[in-house]
Amino acid sequence: MFSPDERFSLIFNGTIYNYRELQAGLAARGWIFQTQGDTEVLLAAYALDGAACLSTLRGMFAFAIWDAREQILFAARDSFGIKPLYYAQLPNGGLAFASELNALLVSGQVPREIDPLSVSEYLAWFSVPAPRTIYRGITNLPPGHWLKVNAEGRCQTAAWDQLPASSGSAPIASNYHDFVHGLRYQLDDTIRAHRVADVPVGAFLSGGLDSTAIVGLMVKSGATQLKTFSLFFNQAEFSEQTSARLAATAFGTEHHEELITGARVATDLPRILASFDQPTGDGINTYYASQMARQGGVTVALSGLGGDELFGGYPSFRDLPRLHRLLPAWRRVPRKLRAALINQLRARPSTRARKLADFLAHARDLHELASLQRRVLPETARLALLAPDARAQARRLGPNHPMLDDFTSELMGADPFQIISAWELRTYLANVLLRDSDVFSLTHSLELRVPFVDRKLLTWLWAQPTHFKYNARWPKKALADATADLIPAAIRARPKQGFTLPFSRWLRAELRPFLHETFSPASLAACPWLDPITTAQVWTDYQRQKDDRAWSRVWTLAVLINFANRRSTP
Amino acid sequence: MRALLLSPELFLAEGGIARIMRLYLKALSTITGSAGRVDSIVLNDHPGYDQRLARYTSEPLGEHIGCARHKVRFMAATFRLARTTDILICGHLHHLALAWLAKIFNPRLKYYLVAHGIEVWRPYTWLEQRALLGAQRVFCVSEYTRRQLLRFHPALAPTRLVVVPNTLDPYLVPNRAAAIPAPSLVGPRILTVSRLLSTDTYKGVDTMIEALPLVRRTLPLAQLRIVGTGDDLPRLKKIVQQLGLANAVHFTGAITDEALQMEYANCELFALPSRKEGFGLVFLEAMTYGKPCLGARAGAVAEVINDSVGQLISYGDIPNLAAGVIDLIRHPRDPVAIRHHVDTFAFPVFTQRLAAALA
Repeated sequence: MFSPDERFSLIFNGTIYNYRELQAGLAARGWIFQTQGDTEVLLAAYALDGAACLSTLRGMFAFAIWDAREQILFAARDSFGIKPLYYAQLPNGGLAFASELNALLVSGQVPREIDPLSVSEYLAWFSVPAPRTIYRGITNLPPGHWLKVNAEGRCQTAAWDQLPASSGSAPIASNYHDFVHGLRYQLDDTIRAHRVADVPVGAFLSGGLDSTAIVGLMVKSGATQLKTFSLFFNQAEFSEQTSARLAATAFGTEHHEELITGARVATDLPRILASFDQPTGDGINTYYASQMARQGGVTVALSGLGGDELFGGYPSFRDLPRLHRLLPAWRRVPRKLRAALINQLRARPSTRARKLADFLAHARDLHELASLQRRVLPETARLALLAPDARAQARRLGPNHPMLDDFTSELMGADPFQIISAWELRTYLANVLLRDSDVFSLTHSLELRVPFVDRKLLTWLWAQPTHFKYNARWPKKALADATADLIPAAIRARPKQGFTLPFSRWLRAELRPFLHETFSPASLAACPWLDPITTAQVWTDYQRQKDDRAWSRVWTLAVLINFANRRSTP
Repeated sequence: MRALLLSPELFLAEGGIARIMRLYLKALSTITGSAGRVDSIVLNDHPGYDQRLARYTSEPLGEHIGCARHKVRFMAATFRLARTTDILICGHLHHLALAWLAKIFNPRLKYYLVAHGIEVWRPYTWLEQRALLGAQRVFCVSEYTRRQLLRFHPALAPTRLVVVPNTLDPYLVPNRAAAIPAPSLVGPRILTVSRLLSTDTYKGVDTMIEALPLVRRTLPLAQLRIVGTGDDLPRLKKIVQQLGLANAVHFTGAITDEALQMEYANCELFALPSRKEGFGLVFLEAMTYGKPCLGARAGAVAEVINDSVGQLISYGDIPNLAAGVIDLIRHPRDPVAIRHHVDTFAFPVFTQRLAAALA
């Protein structure tokens, strides 16, 4: 879209939920609107306020604006990274950018060369954390950042949204009752904003607290003939079918459910893997849920992503502060004894023991604990998997998260709950859950919206006292209490069950042929940055042992190897 | 005002901390003026008067005590002089507990800490925490160091942590009127200046060597000159050998100030892709010669290098480093703008900032 004077041209991916209220203010300042959509509102907001407009936007977005007069390209990404933005500086001084990596590759301007450093980061974090991508030379603009490029092609990036700064003027609840009341108001508000659409809006309903709360709030806010979607499995311990049905019945939704079996995943796997624009250890659940929603006649759906990060649903909220309290005592242990204990732990085959060794060897404060706890492979295991050159580079970078410095600066003065919450939001949610959700929902042309991942809600929550937000004995109690009138009692009382697919079983059965081929010498030959013997051993060990928890490491590697094989042929 | 400066060393070696502590001595002499007095106790330096001291002090000259690494002598001298001192400035966190104890014997004593970089980016012992809480101010060389102090000691009052960026020694600043040398006819020279210690491999000198083959694919005559010495030298030389760069990488070893000035003057680019710079004084030194600088996007380097004077790259990313070097050699920054940038770190500005922080 172009501005009337053609000074500004805008490319926009996403949705601005508060565009109607912004439109009124911008019109009052003299902008004559030609359309009724959010794209022109964004264009007008930037034309009138420049980068300052970013803090007024509520929604998910990645956009780029060319200012023909100033000869500057300005691009930005929403606070949480719901919508991606990738860019590459070209040898001729130009810049290529897109919201999908594949779009940059097919341009022919960017080499499809896998970056060994990104591989080493992927092995640590389940995905390649921004600002890297799996490809050398392509950068992922981090969430809450803008990018400016001048006519000479020089790039400058900066954060436009930082967590503590955004808690400025929110009123603080003085007691738990007021807090719950305030939270409910904020939840209703975010649901209202996210329901704005000119097509029917559906919802993912896994049967857990987060998705049930979303559906309950949607119904309460007036959604009728709501379509809900859930997946279930033959393995009862993974399936939340009963809870999902219970919630759907309670809210009177048109509920759709689908059985996902290992055999079906094995059949669909080539198609699923082909939709990965870079490797990820997660996302298959979103692939199927999105497919189902689209086939169920819905083009926009709401998801409960973000509830665990905001309300302390992960065990990390309980465990990391405990470990943190022990660190001073650990540092008083004589250095040689500490080294000996760490070596003992590293020598054990157990991943838990080796992860503990990482904590003890490298974590000096809560930030470093929070950084390390999301590692999929302990440092020794990661280094062992890498070929010598890649190993040397990974060793140089060390085991901590690449954004550690940025986050410690951003979170100055934050309390332990806020620190863990921010790490979960900025790393696992942004780099894994939201990225995968965007890729796999768009694979099925579904617009996925995430009402918990809302800047206004987070701003309010961030300012509230932590003891209201988090109860170690009852994780997500605040959310349950704020939606107590909506959530069926059986779901409120249920312990947390992650939305995990039964991969641990499928890898040993239906997906076994795929893995056998993936870990074969011929397949590993496409991965010069991996040590082929150690890598193949991971699969061999998994087949021999009965430790189901190792599935994610096998799967993470398998996706990477398959990705490299597919990328080696254009 | 009577001031006491505690330093790990001033003249024994040419480290970054020694260089900046000399300038603290000089600035304090200016601030206290003729009515005041500045005493100096140095842990590692030899006893006796060093000829170079005259550059950094003014009349009336206070006591200058070198303790030759004798810790008891250092402590005794500190307690003796601190009894009659108004302000005490610690040049290293390791000495801060002494200041804290000295205050018990002289309650009107105000003590300060100079926080340089990695020595304060870590958890503190109980004694260090107590001593930090008692400090009147902490002079942080960068905003990054200030944030690290708050990270590892959240109980510190943020207002007590003042950023006083490092400065350049006026005796080492080249004459502005001197012409900037023309590019080398041999080939572009990339200069690195660093300690070459096995404990300091984070300085990234090895990454610079590893990037050189990629640089030479585009600029076949590019040369890398490495100034400095230390026990990491054999490892670095081995990398050079393995990469077949014997004719392209030159280790100068430790050199005189005059020789260093020549190195700065004759290079096309200064590069130190370090992972943990608390400030990066060497970047400023190179900039006084109008040379563009390349550093890693880590630590406080972004506070010294901006787009108009150089480029930041990701630490450890060899292709990114090589691309940065090539870009800066092909598109050099304006030397006048680079020199202008250094003015914000000039010694008079430093003295003013220090005076304001002491007020």
